Amino acid sequence: MPLISARELTKRYPGVNALDGLTLDIESGIVGFVGANGAGKSTFIRILLGLLAPTSGTASVLGFDVRADALEVRKRVGYMPEHDCLPLEISGTDFVTHQGQMSGLPFTAARERGAEMLRHVGLHEERYRLIGSYSTGMKQRIKLAQSLVHDPKLLLLDEPTNGLDPEGREEMLLLIERTGREFGIAVMVTSHLLGEIERVCDSLIAIDAGRLQYAGTVAAFTQQTQRLRLEVDDDAPAFAAQLRARGLAVEAHGGNELRVDLADDSVYDVIRDVAADFAVPLSRMEVTRHRLEELFRTPTAGGARG
Amino acid sequence: MAEARAAGAIYDLGYQSYAGARYGRFYAIRTLIHYSFATAFGIGRADKAKSMPTLIVALVYLPALVQVGVASIAGPQALIHYSVFLEYSVALIALFAASQSPELIVADKQQGVLSLYLSRPFKATDYAIAKLVALVLAMLVITLGPQLVLFVGRIFVSASPLAAFKTEWTKLFPILGGTLMASIFIAAIGMLLASFASRRGYATASVIAFFLLAPALVEMFRSVTTGAIKRYAILAHPVYLITGFANWLFDIEALRRSAIGRADLPGQYYLFVMLGVSIACTAALLRRYRRLDA
Repeated sequence: MPLISARELTKRYPGVNALDGLTLDIESGIVGFVGANGAGKSTFIRILLGLLAPTSGTASVLGFDVRADALEVRKRVGYMPEHDCLPLEISGTDFVTHQGQMSGLPFTAARERGAEMLRHVGLHEERYRLIGSYSTGMKQRIKLAQSLVHDPKLLLLDEPTNGLDPEGREEMLLLIERTGREFGIAVMVTSHLLGEIERVCDSLIAIDAGRLQYAGTVAAFTQQTQRLRLEVDDDAPAFAAQLRARGLAVEAHGGNELRVDLADDSVYDVIRDVAADFAVPLSRMEVTRHRLEELFRTPTAGGARG
Repeated sequence: MAEARAAGAIYDLGYQSYAGARYGRFYAIRTLIHYSFATAFGIGRADKAKSMPTLIVALVYLPALVQVGVASIAGPQALIHYSVFLEYSVALIALFAASQSPELIVADKQQGVLSLYLSRPFKATDYAIAKLVALVLAMLVITLGPQLVLFVGRIFVSASPLAAFKTEWTKLFPILGGTLMASIFIAAIGMLLASFASRRGYATASVIAFFLLAPALVEMFRSVTTGAIKRYAILAHPVYLITGFANWLFDIEALRRSAIGRADLPGQYYLFVMLGVSIACTAALLRRYRRLDA
């Protein structure tokens, strides 16, 4: 049974489709859910939690239908929202304990597990301080602690690295990885920064404009999103035309720079042959990555729209 | 292995999953009521959050205690009547609703905590009910509490406490009924008004504005009308409603020259209007929260 399953899931707002016929299955492990801002990631999570009704289609979490059994889903899922969600006027330990009780744990158990989770996220020393006095990084970590307090089967983390400095991001990713690996809790983590989360994920789901763009392993995705950056010394447009004629996806990048989708290793051969045939001096060739935003917005990508 | 254990080594047991009891929706509601009741008095919060509730508690309990103190010297006749005391506390109860209903529901919205609550296994309407019940219970502390002080005081300052209890105990019903109805009435209005605000300050202002404006508007309206319209108009006045209702409960004849006396309406009318307003406000509040659940 997949952890999360969606069938033709659609959410329409006036003038925009937040989700557009999304069909996917998510298995256990740490799953990265990537997409540009506004791609429909948060909408998807809110539907999974039963906080938003889909316009059409169905979804289930841990075998429970998100509409009919929303409370059963919520019992078993931990949620870390993207935006501020912390009461500032109470202490860290009181907050996490209370959230544990709200998920059905008796007071003593909630207190114990709360303390354990605060230790896990590294807030043990600060647990009696008011949350209002926490730094951004600490706030982000206590958000993770509250999502874990009731020992969920699945964690839904919405942009957990948002607003953190590089060091804070690193710590948060490490925490997520430890949570997924050592605790054995399935994790779905969303991000608009692919490079950041792919390191900790087993598999990736990519969506754009509410449509599924990719679902599979991180390795395969990396390959799919790799590109070659070429610099030629003269007549880049003519060179590009030749490459296109042989079936490569080429994009001009001003001046003499070209970007070629690196579908497989045969691309190198084609470039070599064309360069040799037309005696075009290649002055640079290096592998780069698409940025997530451009990945789906260029005409060369799978689900491109105009 | 055995030696290490004997030496008291520390073991990393790794992650412990939770296999204990998990309670359902009603436990979550009860938890939230309990937590919000404490919030209403600033318990478990910074000192700043305690100042307003503490002030109001002092302002309702001190007069009651002083009354009992005076009566212990001057005799039970000197004690203020329950319904008069309730009328005295209406302004303070309204102030409590104005300052604390935002703490209960607007703070959660303002700080985003609501989205966490909604991801827990209970419904958005459960949240609203828990918050309303918590506010009503908190208001009972400042309405019912002082009345019970007066009640106990009246019994113990009398020459024969046992005899006093035998004549006085029937008053417990109107005491409970009056304070409960007044608390529900004001809490329901306060919560509904607060539910429209995006910031705590706005919510407080709107609740205070309501309890200042409604009486002022009613008085203005009454000054330009006559006859039956003028008499029935006092049912739109929150303070008259509570006083009229308390008079009826305690079987007191209002002063002939007072607005309530001159309106001379059947006592049940006050009850019906308060009940109706409370139900309507609660229904509107639930409706606002129901939309948050899919």
